[in-house]
Amino acid sequence: MLQLQNIIFTVPASDSGKEPPAGQTIINDVSFTFEPGGFYAITGPNGSGKTTIAKLIMGINEPTSGRIMFNGNDITSLPINERSNAGIVYGFQHPARFKGTTFRDLLSISLGSDDEEKLVNIISRVGVCSMDFLDKPVDSKLSGGEIKKIELATVIARNPKVAIYDEPDTGIDLWTIGPMVDLLKREQKENNTTTIVVSHNKTFLEAADTLLLIKKGKIAYTGDLAGAMPMLEDLSVCTFDELCQGEDDAQCYR
Amino acid sequence: MLNAIDKKVLKEVADLEGIPKGAYNIRKNGKLEGREVSANINIETNEKGDGIVIDIKPGTVNESVHIPVILSQAGLHDVVYNTFIIGEGSDVTIVAGCGIHCGSNESEGHSGIHEFYIKAGAKITYVEKHIAIGEGSGKRILNPTTKVFMEENAQAQMELTQLGGVDEAKRANEATIGAGSVLLITERVMTEKEQSAESKNEITLAGTDSKTNIVSRSVIKGSSSQDFYVNLTAKARCYGHIECDAIIMDNGINQTIPALRALHPDAELTHEASIGKIANDQLMKLMSLGLDYDQAVNRIIQGFLR
Repeated sequence: MLQLQNIIFTVPASDSGKEPPAGQTIINDVSFTFEPGGFYAITGPNGSGKTTIAKLIMGINEPTSGRIMFNGNDITSLPINERSNAGIVYGFQHPARFKGTTFRDLLSISLGSDDEEKLVNIISRVGVCSMDFLDKPVDSKLSGGEIKKIELATVIARNPKVAIYDEPDTGIDLWTIGPMVDLLKREQKENNTTTIVVSHNKTFLEAADTLLLIKKGKIAYTGDLAGAMPMLEDLSVCTFDELCQGEDDAQCYR
Repeated sequence: MLNAIDKKVLKEVADLEGIPKGAYNIRKNGKLEGREVSANINIETNEKGDGIVIDIKPGTVNESVHIPVILSQAGLHDVVYNTFIIGEGSDVTIVAGCGIHCGSNESEGHSGIHEFYIKAGAKITYVEKHIAIGEGSGKRILNPTTKVFMEENAQAQMELTQLGGVDEAKRANEATIGAGSVLLITERVMTEKEQSAESKNEITLAGTDSKTNIVSRSVIKGSSSQDFYVNLTAKARCYGHIECDAIIMDNGINQTIPALRALHPDAELTHEASIGKIANDQLMKLMSLGLDYDQAVNRIIQGFLR
């Protein structure tokens, strides 16, 4: 069980000069419990804080206040690698590109073994990467879709208890999204993996048991997709609601 | 006879467990230690007696020649002139390299001047590793010079590696690339402590449709410094690319100066250069796969210098 307890994240001063600016509160008092083996989708407008929640869970960002509990242990100040070893793994939205490091290297690190048979097994299990990916450098020459498939494989290879996928469909062709959802579902079922997908893609939202709608750093809704639809439709129309002067005499071009 | 230290040096510079198969020439402390020629590869001392001539017969394929140098004599500064003549249509691998074992407080150095005449249609892979080991406090100096002359439709792949231990290195690479010929150079250098390394490259794309790709990977640790210069000159319709990346760790410093000169309207030259610390997103990724910070740094550097 993974619990977020009153999580607040304000951009620290050490990150000044970057976007968003230091002092800005990105996550504002979020509490939520992810049950073991559940399939969750986190959605919401751009800049609402979805990726930040994922990074807080992984330990890439440290909360300004609040606690993160995992299977009864307080992991709030645990470094990234120790969280990973505890079973939490994160598939990055924009995966790192290396020079010289190959897919084989990443997969071997992830598996904890460079045994050829095990590597091949994991590639067949993931399905979306072809075997000839194995010796490709994970560098800037890879397409957006290729690197996301590699990212997915490195997460699954760790057999995580909690797998977080940050917009896994970015750059992925339409025909692969279906098989990708099936794969995550299969991993969830067979290994009881708690699966958290940050996404705007309806296919993933439909696949989830529970949907979290994040708006301005808060959870605006939790429940099934049907219940979220009116809010999502609203969001798809306009995200400038602070400036909005209403349906009548609208001065924008929506 | 090769002693234990010599064997260790040979293993490091040439991946040799002992005397190599095929043609070889082992030079130890400025003298010939052993030589073997093959039916297609001849090695003899040059006229001046200050180096060797390696003559590879036209059409020689799938053969290799090893020419390692071992230096373990305190105070010795060895200079050697080696000439390689690679016959037409041959396809060979040349493994060179120098290993210094420094056991005293006197400096030791080696300057290898290698000239390559690569004939039409010939293909070579040249692997050169430089290392320095030993408990001595004397400076270990390696100043290699490589001159390459390529005729038409030849291919040369040169892998030049120096991973630690060498206090001072001044490298000079020169190449003239003929029509339809391809030269690929990959240089990997790791410096640490107070070491310094400089690499100066003068590459000329002389013939129509000649090509080159020059890759430099530098890791600069401790308070060491590295300078990398390339002048790439195009005199014909050709294609050339320079890629230099430097990772600075600790207090290292680096200069990277790639220069492109097109003296022909159909020349196509590009370069990319970067200097910086290990990228944070790379560290995060490896840590998210369970490695701690130091392990992640090591893996990134290992891949980078591969």
